[in-house]
Amino acid sequence: MECISVLKELSVHTAVSGYEKSMADYIKESFGKDCDSVEEDRFYNVIGIKKGNKSNKKIMITAHYDEIGFLVSGIDEKGFLRFTSVGGIDPKILLAQEVIVHGRSDLLGIIGAKPPHLLKPEEAKKAVKMGELRIDMGMTPEKVREQVSIGDLITFKAVPFELQGKKLSSKTLDNRCGVTSLIEILKELRPFKFDSDIYVVATTQEEVGLTGVEIASYNLQPDIAIVIDACHGDIPDAPKGEAYALGKGPAVAIGPNLHPKLTKKVIEIAKSENIPYQIDIERGDTGTEAWATQVSRSGIPTILLSIPVRYMHTTVETVHANDIENTAKLAARFIVKAETEMEELLCF
Amino acid sequence: MFDLVKELTGAFGVAGNEENIREVIKNKIQNVLDEVYVDTLGNLIGVKRGNGKKIMVAAHMDEIGVMANFIDEKGYIRFSSIGWVSPFYALGQKVKFKNGTIGAVFYEEKLDEMKNLKLSKMYIDIGAASRAEAEKKVSIGDTAAFVGEAVQEGDMIISKALDDRSGCAVVIETIKNLPKTENEIYFVFTVQEELGLRGAKTAAYGIKPDIAIAVDVTLTGDKPESKPMEVKCGAGPAIKIKDRSVICHPEIKKLLEDCAKRLNIPYQFEILEEGGSDPGAIHLTAGGIPSGAISIPCRYVHSPVETANINDLKHAVMLLRESLV
Ligand SMILES: [Zn+2]
Repeated sequence: MECISVLKELSVHTAVSGYEKSMADYIKESFGKDCDSVEEDRFYNVIGIKKGNKSNKKIMITAHYDEIGFLVSGIDEKGFLRFTSVGGIDPKILLAQEVIVHGRSDLLGIIGAKPPHLLKPEEAKKAVKMGELRIDMGMTPEKVREQVSIGDLITFKAVPFELQGKKLSSKTLDNRCGVTSLIEILKELRPFKFDSDIYVVATTQEEVGLTGVEIASYNLQPDIAIVIDACHGDIPDAPKGEAYALGKGPAVAIGPNLHPKLTKKVIEIAKSENIPYQIDIERGDTGTEAWATQVSRSGIPTILLSIPVRYMHTTVETVHANDIENTAKLAARFIVKAETEMEELLCF
Repeated sequence: MFDLVKELTGAFGVAGNEENIREVIKNKIQNVLDEVYVDTLGNLIGVKRGNGKKIMVAAHMDEIGVMANFIDEKGYIRFSSIGWVSPFYALGQKVKFKNGTIGAVFYEEKLDEMKNLKLSKMYIDIGAASRAEAEKKVSIGDTAAFVGEAVQEGDMIISKALDDRSGCAVVIETIKNLPKTENEIYFVFTVQEELGLRGAKTAAYGIKPDIAIAVDVTLTGDKPESKPMEVKCGAGPAIKIKDRSVICHPEIKKLLEDCAKRLNIPYQFEILEEGGSDPGAIHLTAGGIPSGAISIPCRYVHSPVETANINDLKHAVMLLRESLV
């Protein structure tokens, strides 16, 4: 279960969208062992490169490593912090959470919640709004102003823990599970030597609009892109057709956002190699980096593999180790095949 | 500074029709810089040559306004908005077309409740007695800006189009007081910001700078019963952290903060919960351009009575100048 321990480590690091620098070195090191070189661009995308013999073609595999988080947006007269989110967060999950405020030093804080005794009946029925929530650090207003300024980062304080049946629960499994599979892909590719260059890219600012991947794909101009991201796991009462079972393999996306021939190929490979997979039907915008890669420059043929994650964008995101391993296995086999059959695969 | 702001805010330049304001600004910068040109979209670009870093400075010169889309038989003009125009801000105001024709903006009295006021229930009255008479002055497709001549009360300037002629004023003052530097600096007065950051996008692609700094207005939280926001008029230029279009690059944020500290001028940080700005387009361009912004705190943005503190503009000039060195 090595991939669980890799993911555990990855999930505790913080890299709020736009501020990923703090984690870039860690990822560089993880890629380093299996790459000829590792680069970091000006937007903190980490790019691991396996140089090909001919370097005539390029294959890019991406998974974003940024995470949702918060910024301090105000300090009130009593020293409580107001905050705004970076990326999509449902305020309901914030009540009674522990957070770390990255001020001059890292400070512990809690997001307070009004006790039921004090809730007016009409309040009890209403959903909370982020603007009404405050962070309490237990400090005097003077101390707070000395230690914290507007724009300082706030992250969840979450402790990963293993559930039964090879499942891990933690913050940021969306999409550190994808990053874990990048590391696994590199391992899977060890025995191979390619003509093409392989770029393994941990991208930034996905949660705020696919920024990192837009920049990386423009700069790298790959011939094929493989995007790995999280999809919704099978939680109780999830809408049918929008959630995928944990442990049953990566979801392979089919739809106009993805390249039909490449998608067909990856499904063929899953079948012939006995790798479990699920089908994810996407009628338009997949909401993933594939949406940006497909139309970068003159277009990049793209496939999308998604790892089922339950309770997305909470501190208890949950993932199955097998799905990460199978995603990596499938992506790696696909790279090997696509690399030799590229010409044929890319013509319509 | 006030005279410059007054002249700039007074010039016509509804998004997509920036010819007049472009001429005004061009005349002010053309003998000071090494080169001044206009690009395909109409952005005005002034260049200070050098061998150092390539820096793009952007302030948008377009303003919000309205566009005539129908003239009825009695000569009343129906209109749509160019950029975000609130019906409530527009009500009871005057608008001025490019040819100088002025009209009153009012609404259909049959409206049941004021909260249902929409631009489609409003019209412009230019005093014409018939469609034929109106058409002598205004054709459909013509644009008009709100009327709101700049005045100064104490340290506060009240005017239309401080968004973003105040930013243009800051950039022009910086051009006139250029610091000694090897950097190559592109001062861009962008078009069509109010239509979705369109000018900044092509300008950035054409220039491909190493970094970009925009100067624009931001909202404030210092009015009676304001939505909470830390930014105040008079507390110094704001260094943008994020808005809906961009998370400013940490290096640019740090650059601006270091400059403000070095100059010992007041400054504040801006987190804008609504609205975007030119860096939103610039940072995504041509493989990524680290971008940030100096924001001028401004009350009542997109109304004819936008209000900003003149000292914030002056400090913004100092901050921008220092950041270019
Ligand atoms: Zn503006």
